[in-house]
Amino acid sequence: MAWVTSLTLVILALAAVGGLVVGPTSIGASRVLGDTLSHLGVGHSTLTSMQSTIIWQLRAPRMVLGLLAGAMLAVAGGTYQGVFRNPLADPYLLGVAAGAGLGATIAIVDVGGGLSTPSWTPLLAFAGALVAVGVTWIIGGGGHRANTSTLILAGVAVASLLTSAQTYLQQQGSVNSLARVYIWLLGSLASASWSSVLLVLPYVIVCALICLFAARALDVMSVGEEESRSLGLPVRRVRLVVIGAASLGTAAIVSAVGLIGFVGIVVPHVMRLLVGTSYRRILPLSILAGAAFLVLADTIARTVLAPSELPLGVVTALVGAPVFVLILSLRGRVSM
Amino acid sequence: MSAIALRDLSVRVAGHDLVRHVSLEVAAGSWCTVIGPNGAGKTTLVEAVAGLRSLASGEVALDGEALASMSGRERARRVSLVPQHPVIPAGMSVHDYVALGRTAYHGVLRAPSSSDHAVVASVLERVELTSFRDRDVVTLSGGERQRMVLGRALAQSTMVMVLDEPITGLDLRHQMTMLEMLRREVDDCGLTVLATLHDLTLAGQFADRLVLLDHGEIVLDGPASEVIRSDELAKRYEMELRVVEINGSDVVVPVRDARRGPSPLSTEQ
Repeated sequence: MAWVTSLTLVILALAAVGGLVVGPTSIGASRVLGDTLSHLGVGHSTLTSMQSTIIWQLRAPRMVLGLLAGAMLAVAGGTYQGVFRNPLADPYLLGVAAGAGLGATIAIVDVGGGLSTPSWTPLLAFAGALVAVGVTWIIGGGGHRANTSTLILAGVAVASLLTSAQTYLQQQGSVNSLARVYIWLLGSLASASWSSVLLVLPYVIVCALICLFAARALDVMSVGEEESRSLGLPVRRVRLVVIGAASLGTAAIVSAVGLIGFVGIVVPHVMRLLVGTSYRRILPLSILAGAAFLVLADTIARTVLAPSELPLGVVTALVGAPVFVLILSLRGRVSM
Repeated sequence: MSAIALRDLSVRVAGHDLVRHVSLEVAAGSWCTVIGPNGAGKTTLVEAVAGLRSLASGEVALDGEALASMSGRERARRVSLVPQHPVIPAGMSVHDYVALGRTAYHGVLRAPSSSDHAVVASVLERVELTSFRDRDVVTLSGGERQRMVLGRALAQSTMVMVLDEPITGLDLRHQMTMLEMLRREVDDCGLTVLATLHDLTLAGQFADRLVLLDHGEIVLDGPASEVIRSDELAKRYEMELRVVEINGSDVVVPVRDARRGPSPLSTEQ
């Protein structure tokens, strides 16, 4: 456990520094450090104002948004896997992705007319995601029935319905809007700014903290709902709170960066393989590893084909899948 | 005052009355076993006592207090459950599994206290699993697993324990070990036990009292030695039963009808 935590922290630190210094404009880490210290009143910066702008207005918010997105998606995925006792659960299980996709498509096709991605695309994506989860919760009888399978099936139904509506709308738009919707669906940190960071920060902090506080409850729930109840766990309340928190946090992230797959499902599994099945270990480490992973993936995405960018979702899968398969083959089966 | 009191208890599941107007009182520090053919409603009855079933009518009371008025945590401090088919979460250690029994005491936001750890250590000793404490639960044998599940229930430190077929799938030696452990908790610690068992011999040997349930209703209730000798028992199981005494213990033996075999199964619920 200790070595996994240390290694993850080192990778996270390297990813964060890499996110600042790596890019088409080469700026050394020591100069970035000097500039950082100069902002704190220590020494003098050797960066030009252009370089300073690139670091602090382009790369830094992008890196921080990547940290937040990776952390939130990974902890939400781990939480979903725990509450549903399902290794295939990811943060999009209850329709967040489909709802956000529909919201964003409405914004781009209907509001923006396909000529631009309107500034309130995130807002409609966020609303779409929350409506989708809400409908899933109501249809699945989340508050009353004990069976989480019903909720999962309701999620599948809602996601299918919303995805078909989204596809229909997308087809009605112009070629231009089709491309914009497609780019949005693939997910990207390219439009990151400090304002988008500040917008999602409260959601990520509150929702991730709730998931972390629920870790012990998720460990209890590993014996199933009936047995958990007999042990004194308020299963329905826990389920409502953790699904609500994981979904809200995911919705906030998706609205800001689009749909980024793979992080939410694989990072918690890698942690499970490395540190065992207790969510008290999996969730905190998933936050660190998810953050590091997404920033690393984004650094690759924006540098490999610079000045153009690879879709972030493609990189997370291309980089993450082999790593996951390697760890899986080294450590054996995934236990839930 | 009775440790367990069921008053006119009925449980309906999917339109079927699985338990009908059952009234039963179990004295503190005693062991009552519910027997009956498949589909009699035994599991539903004990699950109702554990607070896991909605009641169609009637009431369950523990030490005079209505179960329905208790919070989930309070209930888990008063009654523990050993389910028939417990979920065994792969990757969890035996210690952590048994420690789940302390959830109702420390809650889900706080870590277990030193007294919680002391209880878990004591329970592991009592169920003879101390040397297995760090083992993954899935590596245990059937008998060890069942002792571990008993350990989790004991860690709840309740005065009432309900067990649903706790010796299913165990060989004879492990069946006896499990029931002897439970008997020790009743005799030494004053635990009140309400269990279901299919094995009439073991039911008779370990319980103070047997309750025969059929079609959701109590049809016989009394000391074990009387119930297993009752003609009603054979009638409800629809077969001939004999009781022989070996070294002072009653053994219930089914008698095969060489011509017909047992009666055709009647409609089961």
